[in-house]
Amino acid sequence: MVETLQNLYLGFSIALSPSVLIYAFAGCIIGTLVGILPGVGPLAGISLLLPASFGLNATTAMVLLAGIYYGAMYGGSTTSILMRIPGEAASVMTCIDGYAMTRKGRAGPALAIAAIGSYFAGTVSVVGLMLLAPPLASFALRFGPPEYVALLLLGLLALAYMSGGSVPKALAMAALGLLLGMIGIDPMTGYFRFHYGLVELGDGIGVVPVAVGLFGLSEILLTAGQSTPPAVMKPRLRELLPSRQEWRDSVWSIGRGTVLGFLIGIIPGSAHIISSFVSYAVERRLSRHPERFGHGAVEGVAGPESANNSATSGAFVPMLALGVPSGPIPAVMLAAMMVHGISPGPLLIMQQPDLFWGFIASMYVGNVVLLILNLPLVGIFVNLLRIPYPFLYPAILVFSVVGVYAVNGSVVDVWIMAVMGVLGYLLRKFEFETAPIVLGLVLAPMLEMSLRQSLALSSGSYAVFVTRPIAATMLGLGLAILLLSLRPVFTRGLDWRRRLGLESKPSLGEEGKP
Amino acid sequence: MRIRLLATLLLLYLALVPGASAQEPFPTRPISLVAPFPPGGVADLMARPVAAAMEKVLKSPAVVVNKTGAAGAVGMSFVANSKPDGYTLLMALSSISIIPEADKLFDRKPAYTMDQLTPVALISADPTILVVRADRPWKSVKEFVEDAKKRPGEISYSSSGVYGTLHMAMEMLSHAAGIKLKHVPYGGAGPALTAILGGHVDTLASGPAVILPHIKAGKLRPLAGWGSKRVAALPDLPTFKELGYDIEFYIWAGVFAPTGTPDPILKKLRDTVRQAVQEPDFKSAMTKLETPVAYLDAPEFQKFWDKDAKMLADAIKRVGRIEEKK
Amino acid sequence: MLTRDRVAGVVILLFSLAVMWETRVLPLGNFHNPGPGYMPMLLAIVLGAMAILVALGGGGSLPLRSLAWPEKRHALAILAGCAFTALAMERIGYRLTVILLLGFILWVVERKRPVVVVATALGLSLGTFYLFSTLLRVPLPVGPGRF
Repeated sequence: MVETLQNLYLGFSIALSPSVLIYAFAGCIIGTLVGILPGVGPLAGISLLLPASFGLNATTAMVLLAGIYYGAMYGGSTTSILMRIPGEAASVMTCIDGYAMTRKGRAGPALAIAAIGSYFAGTVSVVGLMLLAPPLASFALRFGPPEYVALLLLGLLALAYMSGGSVPKALAMAALGLLLGMIGIDPMTGYFRFHYGLVELGDGIGVVPVAVGLFGLSEILLTAGQSTPPAVMKPRLRELLPSRQEWRDSVWSIGRGTVLGFLIGIIPGSAHIISSFVSYAVERRLSRHPERFGHGAVEGVAGPESANNSATSGAFVPMLALGVPSGPIPAVMLAAMMVHGISPGPLLIMQQPDLFWGFIASMYVGNVVLLILNLPLVGIFVNLLRIPYPFLYPAILVFSVVGVYAVNGSVVDVWIMAVMGVLGYLLRKFEFETAPIVLGLVLAPMLEMSLRQSLALSSGSYAVFVTRPIAATMLGLGLAILLLSLRPVFTRGLDWRRRLGLESKPSLGEEGKP
Repeated sequence: MRIRLLATLLLLYLALVPGASAQEPFPTRPISLVAPFPPGGVADLMARPVAAAMEKVLKSPAVVVNKTGAAGAVGMSFVANSKPDGYTLLMALSSISIIPEADKLFDRKPAYTMDQLTPVALISADPTILVVRADRPWKSVKEFVEDAKKRPGEISYSSSGVYGTLHMAMEMLSHAAGIKLKHVPYGGAGPALTAILGGHVDTLASGPAVILPHIKAGKLRPLAGWGSKRVAALPDLPTFKELGYDIEFYIWAGVFAPTGTPDPILKKLRDTVRQAVQEPDFKSAMTKLETPVAYLDAPEFQKFWDKDAKMLADAIKRVGRIEEKK
Repeated sequence: MLTRDRVAGVVILLFSLAVMWETRVLPLGNFHNPGPGYMPMLLAIVLGAMAILVALGGGGSLPLRSLAWPEKRHALAILAGCAFTALAMERIGYRLTVILLLGFILWVVERKRPVVVVATALGLSLGTFYLFSTLLRVPLPVGPGRF
């Protein structure tokens, strides 16, 4: 413990030295700006700006990149809340209730809660990272394909609580999303599925163009032509801050989101994306008024935003402790280290204490900087809503196109966005929810691959899922949740029969009890 | 009608803009070096110092453009099909020879053919090395092969993906040693490394740079290398050739231009890269990446490439379609 | 009667059948060794089954005719703009494409005054190009005349 404090002191002496601090600031500002751009999330932002860090020394480069990454995380929620455009898969859930709050004139509180939730989650997960990295990292590595299958099936269960609409509709949308995830070269056999002559589909359909199309573009298509355009909002200062009720509603959501996100985040791979979906489902399940979700429930912003922030910090655990490229963002960070001649590996903490502790300390600093930066920015961003819609939507359209294009430099992604815009528009007309499509798309490649890897490892035996303790525990948990969620179906079934008087005796007996 | 006016303006603009003149000194505008993988990937990390050094030599900008997708096929076919004027170059990896073969195997319309690209220079060639988890019993290739013969299809290895470079290296070894291993493909070299560190598979073929820290930390044990010479960082590690297996495999990176690029421009590009690899900045960048420079000029590179491509083509044919073999 | 859910269910069912048909070329594999066609086929079956449930349970939903499309004209125009952007961007360059896109939407669709249109189109086009291509160094396509 004392040692940790000493190391932390070392870290802070590095992170707070002016030459490093200035890069932390620069990173946060650039990251915030990049994150605000629709369609550009943390991963895209950090990849785009990676080359700019090559000219710096290793510590400042890492601090700059961490700043960009955190900044993009904070900034990413802005467009989701104000314009319903997710910068990445993790902000999809924020779009739903965040944008609903905006339409009700509560954009300011939504942004403020998102920033505060991100701050809390970011800070707490760095504490977790600092104290628990080595033991957690070795545990996380035990997550092999069978455990992944179990985890992803748990993620799929989030569907049950994700929407308030009809169950067959939600399942149909999830199946559609999973099917979209089947497009591309099958990594297990090399077959190119559903390519229709387009090489660009080889790696599958990107989540960002789909999310931007289904959420952002469909919103424009639905709104732009309405006879009464959406009212221009003139926010007052009093309305920028969350009300006492909103505080009370979101405190526990932030806490739960943080823990949940961190736990999912430390698992190597891309599972951290599902943390915000799972968090949303958990909040909705625990809420006393689940019907408010989808219509501007503040918990639906607080939980997922905190979860996705702490998840991606959680992803640094295996990276820093073991030098494992544990996900897309850590992989980019590792590449940055290699460019500076540092071999990331299990010995990093010992060989490069300056870098490791400087990096940790800069994450604390970065979070504080961002909170200070973002709270006043809420007031400025909210003023974007003063722009009349006929000018706002063409601008949103342009930013979406360029954001979607920039990630891969591919026009095919722009086409995908347009097609998904039409699909989202039609589905919303027919009262289907589109979030399950994104969840399905995110889960499909991971789920299929880990299922088939498990079977390859076990030579075709499904016993691996019950003989490995972590996988078996998670599957058992999933089964329990499933049964719990089915209970209302049965009880409601009984009510229905009772109403028709089909089951006369037992129900009569029950009625007699109270 | 407003829309007609807009269209007229567009046509007017296009008619007035002059086309590029035929004879102009090269280069007059920025050269783009396409990396077919995302920032931070091997191709990208190689491309950036090369572009920076070329920029110095040419005294004209050279930028790295990431065109990603389909395991590199998108970027490669983009360059293969772009105008052969020397302004669009490709930083390709060994997989450039794999994709057309895989397309052939599945009777697909090829994304590009290898004769659409002309080699300019080889930049680096790293042999893959065979590592096993430190807690597994095998101390040498001999023990490993003997055990694998006793239990065919039970020792597992991870790879960056089916028909990927890491898969091909292992396939060459299994073929030469007459063993059968259990292949578990992952989505990229990073996840494949994570899998062996987590103990989900027994062994892995990988480039030396990413694996060295884990060897030093005692988590993984190297058994042999695929190079013709020993790896500088691991002088005690034998090569497969020394052990009597006639296999050689490198993860290499080289610069290509679209076929049809005029000879004077091609010559200028070759000279540029030759000078670029001598730049001290370039050398120090490569040292940091722990990747030795293995420069070859176009003619030798072409020979090297032909041999490598043939080897890979044979390996892919041997593997065949995975689904139909079982 | 044609209700919204029935129509949607039938359309999705047809789509799932099309997917099954497309999946026929992929080897299915088996339960213990699923091939590349296994998951797509399974998912298409699930999708089809759900579509049938939606259609069967959709008798009580609102009739199709009650669905109004007041925003049809705008939506089509915006989609046309997207298609134009995707087609034109790598041919005539990013800046010109965006100027034309905004010119079309603001001038033809929204009927704004020419001065406002030109100012917005130029500002947004050059501004975003500067932001991405110059500041963030993301290469955006340039067209003839290096514009």
